[in-house]
Amino acid sequence: MIRRIAFKEMKENLYEGRFRVTIIIVSVLLIMATWLSLNYFKSVQQQHADAKANARNIWESQDEKNPHSAAHYGTYAFKPKYPLSLIDPGVDKFSGISIFLEAHKRNEAQYMAAADQTGLARFGDLTPDFIMLFIIPLLIILIGYNAFTREQELGTLKLLKGQGISSWKLALGKWVGIFLPVLILTTGLFVIAFILLVNVEDFGELNYGVLLLMFVVYVIYYAVFINITLMVSAVSKQSGISLVSLLVIWIVVCLAMPKASSNLADSIYPYPSRQAFAADIDKDKKAGLDGHNPWSQAAKDFERETLEKYGVDSLSQLPFNFDGYRMQKGEEHEAQVYFKHYAELKNTFRNQSKVYQAAAIASPFLPTRFLSMALARTDYRAHWDFSDAAESYRLSLVDTLNMNLAVNSTYGDWAYKADRSLWKNVPDFEYDPPSLGDIIGRNWSNILVLGLWFLVSFVGLKILTQRV
Amino acid sequence: MNALNLSVKQGDIFCLLGANGAGKSTTINLFLNFIEPTEGLATINSLDVTLHSKETKQLLSYIPENLMLYPNLTGLENLDFFCGLGGKNYSKEQLEELLKQSGLQVDFIHKRVSSYSKGMRQKVGIALASAREASVLLLDEPTSGLDPKASNEFSELLLDMKDKGVATLMATHDLFRAKATGTHIGIMKEGVLIHQVEANSISLPELEELYLETMKLSQTVSS
Repeated sequence: MIRRIAFKEMKENLYEGRFRVTIIIVSVLLIMATWLSLNYFKSVQQQHADAKANARNIWESQDEKNPHSAAHYGTYAFKPKYPLSLIDPGVDKFSGISIFLEAHKRNEAQYMAAADQTGLARFGDLTPDFIMLFIIPLLIILIGYNAFTREQELGTLKLLKGQGISSWKLALGKWVGIFLPVLILTTGLFVIAFILLVNVEDFGELNYGVLLLMFVVYVIYYAVFINITLMVSAVSKQSGISLVSLLVIWIVVCLAMPKASSNLADSIYPYPSRQAFAADIDKDKKAGLDGHNPWSQAAKDFERETLEKYGVDSLSQLPFNFDGYRMQKGEEHEAQVYFKHYAELKNTFRNQSKVYQAAAIASPFLPTRFLSMALARTDYRAHWDFSDAAESYRLSLVDTLNMNLAVNSTYGDWAYKADRSLWKNVPDFEYDPPSLGDIIGRNWSNILVLGLWFLVSFVGLKILTQRV
Repeated sequence: MNALNLSVKQGDIFCLLGANGAGKSTTINLFLNFIEPTEGLATINSLDVTLHSKETKQLLSYIPENLMLYPNLTGLENLDFFCGLGGKNYSKEQLEELLKQSGLQVDFIHKRVSSYSKGMRQKVGIALASAREASVLLLDEPTSGLDPKASNEFSELLLDMKDKGVATLMATHDLFRAKATGTHIGIMKEGVLIHQVEANSISLPELEELYLETMKLSQTVSS
């Protein structure tokens, strides 16, 4: 009976121009968005590969020089572009693609794609996630807003009930009738994305489990919207009222709540301004050892402690170059300062995330948005991961260079130069993105809230359709 | 409704006459279990419709005053859908035959219902009743608004159903049709079944007189 109702619903929809036109428009938009994303992905991937190879080449081509000078010369860490960013580019556009790695300083990621765009970028990009998060819920509303009201308006509800069909079976039939075309559309998109992705170079980065999980997340999101749509249609007296009510819900859920929660999170847990952040770091750095300043009190204290530790009277008696050693210790102090301040930033980020998680109770859009970005590895957490990995690499790189200076030269020997083999022996920056297990572990609350949305709305549908 | 007591046997066509608001449609709705009686029972095949709603609905077929079907589907698709809901599955040829037997023009069978007249939709309703092999037919003013020819065709279909042993309860304003097709006639006013007569025991003028007297009685009571 459910199958028959679902089939009838789909057949009726197919006969209707409104449905056909909408499906064609959404399909064309999806294909266009996927094609544009693929081209962008390929182009950025190529640019990254070229820039990465170029940066490494420049690093390895340095002449013989003081290793600490090489640390100042610096190099770059490039954020990998993941295949699923083709579906959901997340915050990639705003978070920067590379970090300049140098001695004494933890730099922010730079070269944000958004910075290269005109003011028209405010209208947003045509990407698959935009279609899937905003447009397909609208399609669901358009298909289902009159699911029950139309039966009442046509007068067919009485005939249906006269056949002995229960309200719940009728609702389930209509649910399946809306769900199937949406499922076909979503499956089509993921199959196309899969076919395209297995043909790109970094195919090895593509995790089938992640792709499947992303598909499941979107399908649950649509199921929630179908539940909401049918509930509203069941309690509305007229199709017009149902449509307007659902559009208001869409605006609140997909537009207003994300903006409101963002403003709320920022007002409760504000990030420091860039200037204040830099000033605080500078202040803390100055309070400790500066590797380049042997005349500061901190440097004098460190010198005394080192002489005592090694039981010698002068720096030239040390078995290493104290200048290199001091610069490394200064680097370690600065690293701790950066660690402390970035930990505070991360704490603010975590607190803001809690506000979003709380707001997700009022909007299924939010957990879906966060899960989608997390699975595509294009969320802020993924960016933090990359930034931390780049910082670890920077510290390791500078440590290698400073200790080379300390071990291979003597105190006061500023003429020491490391040869090119040192640059080549420094391993290149490699970054392993968070695993699927890590992503799930970090996003359990989003998974839980989205699951609850589905269950509660499904129960709500059962209760409200009893009135039909 | 007050102290309503009527039964319709197999092969009977019980026509309920009465003014608007007399309780004819309410009686039909009682058997459909769209409303529940505050007292007493409505039964089909000895089954209480409130306790055995699903089973009793499998036994009956219902045609309202203005049978509404899905306008985007064809007559055949509508028939197929509603038959399927009742657990009856027919081939395309069988459905076409059922629609032909109900008097629907052949060239309309595969046309969308949005192009159908009211009479055509009522014929699809009759085809549905035949297809469902319903033993009970509930009709709520089914010929209201039909032209005389369509109304006559509908009556003939009812008589066919009667010959097949279907018990029919029909609410109508049409005295002529009630006399021509009914086996029993009841006249209702203000929720009470005032008169019950066998159709062949009364002539059309007598029925008309009885009806008008009942209505006058109603006006007197009201005033």
